[in-house]
Amino acid sequence: MMTREETTTAVLKDPQVLNESTELMNGSHAVIRALLAEGVDTIFGYPGGAIMPVYDAIYDYQDHVNHILVRHEQGAGHAAEGYARLSGKVGVCLVTSGPGATNLITAIADAIIDSTPMVCVVGQVAKHLLGTDAFQETDVIGVTMPITKWNFQITSADEVPEVMAKAFYVARAGRPGPVLIDITKNAQSEMMTKPFKYDFCHKLPGYHPRLVPKREHVEAAATLINGAKRPFLLFGHGVKLAGAEKELLELVEKTGIPCASTLLGLSSVPVNHPLYAGWLGMHGNYSTNRLTNECDVLIGIGLRFDDRVTGDVTRYAKQAKIVHIEIDPAEVDKVVKAHAPVVGDAKEALRMLTPLLNPNSHEEWHAKFKELDAEEEEAITIPELSANTEKIKMAEVVRMLSDKTKGEAVIVADVGQHQMVAARYYEFKRNNSFITSGGLGTMGYALPAAFGAKVGDPEREVVAIIGDGCFQMTIQELGTIAQSGLPVKAIILNNNYLGMVRQWQQLFFEKRYSFVELQNPDFITIARGFGVDGHTCDQRENLSDSLDKMLASDKPYLLEVIVEKEENVFPMVASGASVAEIRLR
Amino acid sequence: MTSYTICVFTENTFGLLNKITIIFTRRRINIESLTVSETERKGISRFTIVIKEESRETVEKVVRQIRKVVEVLAVFGYLNDEVVYNEIALFKIPTPEGAKRLDIETVNKTYKAWVVYWGLEYVVIEKTGTEEEIFDFFNYIKPHGILEFVRSGRVAVSKSSRSLVEYLPEEEKYDYLSYN
Ligand SMILES: Cc1ncc(C[n+]2csc(CCOP(=O)(O)OP(=O)(O)O)c2C)c(N)n1
Ligand SMILES: [Mg+2]
Repeated sequence: MMTREETTTAVLKDPQVLNESTELMNGSHAVIRALLAEGVDTIFGYPGGAIMPVYDAIYDYQDHVNHILVRHEQGAGHAAEGYARLSGKVGVCLVTSGPGATNLITAIADAIIDSTPMVCVVGQVAKHLLGTDAFQETDVIGVTMPITKWNFQITSADEVPEVMAKAFYVARAGRPGPVLIDITKNAQSEMMTKPFKYDFCHKLPGYHPRLVPKREHVEAAATLINGAKRPFLLFGHGVKLAGAEKELLELVEKTGIPCASTLLGLSSVPVNHPLYAGWLGMHGNYSTNRLTNECDVLIGIGLRFDDRVTGDVTRYAKQAKIVHIEIDPAEVDKVVKAHAPVVGDAKEALRMLTPLLNPNSHEEWHAKFKELDAEEEEAITIPELSANTEKIKMAEVVRMLSDKTKGEAVIVADVGQHQMVAARYYEFKRNNSFITSGGLGTMGYALPAAFGAKVGDPEREVVAIIGDGCFQMTIQELGTIAQSGLPVKAIILNNNYLGMVRQWQQLFFEKRYSFVELQNPDFITIARGFGVDGHTCDQRENLSDSLDKMLASDKPYLLEVIVEKEENVFPMVASGASVAEIRLR
Repeated sequence: MTSYTICVFTENTFGLLNKITIIFTRRRINIESLTVSETERKGISRFTIVIKEESRETVEKVVRQIRKVVEVLAVFGYLNDEVVYNEIALFKIPTPEGAKRLDIETVNKTYKAWVVYWGLEYVVIEKTGTEEEIFDFFNYIKPHGILEFVRSGRVAVSKSSRSLVEYLPEEEKYDYLSYN
């Protein structure tokens, strides 16, 4: 007789059998079978009362799916996001009801605004207790309604296969996003009344994202672009999500159109590409922001014209005709009215569009960018990188890291000045190399997301760049990282301040520093306590060796760099200002 | 302010009313009336939502947001002249002894309203019509005193198949490509 584990192994080997079973199983086994059928190899989770039957089922499948025990459900959420962002697969979280679920909320909100595919399976009290204020009962469906792409409550085991298939379809399809499945305890433990059979979901009556755009819309866009004297192309996360980096380069190289990236688009075009003009938005480049208001055709691809990109939208690219290529119809005309909207997947759209475009070089137009770039170099970049200040500057750390990793590492930035500096000074040479919380600006994102990213692609060097404030929001995930042993590298850029808020207080609130100075712990001692090695660097002459030491480690490693306390990130489009009013100081 | 009628066709599942109304709440759009019923097709519900809005653009945006709800099959936004619409109102009017008699003939002939219940001390009058017609009748009947008054909210069907914002899927034309 085979042991239970051997049976599972035998069953799992045969994909036909995997998706179908003659035996009756309980809802929990069905949940795991559904995950396996969807190709899930990793679950980020945390157990508790209302999800115990599923945890009991996982016990049987430990050889087939890697469950990672986090230290806080928010960590599970961000880890799943980091995993999804780097691997392109759906991130999966498993948590208990009530506080387990509410701890996940921040990550779900983060995932929806940054279009990150995620399936969260959340325990719930038994069906007969719903609505009775039972122990750890929270109306998670109600709470997550506005922050999920779809949510659903399963109350009987038989529903599991169909609902799980739908969950994965919705999470991935079109513009990706988080899906939450609330599963009552009885549905987890009761037996299904029919054999498990998993049919993948490919479409739904009410949800069919348009991937291939309408030809006439693409043609209208092509006409506008071909007629442009000073076209400017902006790309966002949508390009990466569509895997359209190659198609984007083809368009740009054929037409000679300068292109610039949103925060989440970074690394989709290598920074040393001659047609790459830079980064957009509040702390983006001088030329890209200024010239947004001088181009005659603005082509936005896979982005949503976030207010951090547009500045004062009433003074944003008013002179330009707008082409907007976007998969989510609700984003078209939402912020910026498009003269030529193209609804569809970026890859499909670019494949159709590029052949219709005329070759060009736009030399004079490029020269304008170069001129402004030189001003920025002079005013900001050079001084930042060749500082002789007493303390190290954030920019130096990031640029040195960039050089040492040849611009090929995956950078996971947290939220604040260090994030902006990471985006500015890391010279991305490889696609899909920048992960950060863009839309929600979630402090505490980076450590768990970097861990998740490393799990998602262990071959790549993953380096988190984290502020001293942010680090303390999810510091406990050092435990998760230590337990995994994965060589996740983290750099704390420690300025002893909630630096970004301090910068605003300095610039816009008459330097009234209101609750932004931190009394920090000894980060290295804490890391060691968790079993993560690390050291502090506070001298410029030690920086290079410090980075080498961190990068050479084959274990998790924390490098704390003491940086200048009161440096400001520039350029900056002050809030309420127009992109044309970007300041260099 | 312009009245818009938004018709939403959905799968009939739990919580959809919430999923739709929070879209208005978040954008601070006040719902004037809302009715839900099953359509001629089983399992498909129809929401009729009336809002008053200055800007057509706002309405178009909200329509597109509603369209994003996975269970929503189609959404249409209409101007008043693009729909045939009505409401029902019930008026509970006291009929104490010695009071001015109700002029049933005027109620019936002029206002096309009908007494649907005769109580000992009151009658219930049903009036079907547009919001304006109901309001007219309200003013007419008011001097009698109104014990209770309730309106159903608008139900509407479009006059043509064309609508203000149209996102009805043309099934065959969509390609289902996989994520990668
Ligand atoms: C959860 C959360 N709380 C508050 C904020 C507001 N906020 C944005 S940046 C920032 C300061 C971050 O400080 P630190 O991590 O030290 O980074 P620095 O700006 O100093 O590089 C704060 C408080 C936020 N984005 N997220
Ligand atoms: Mg700081």
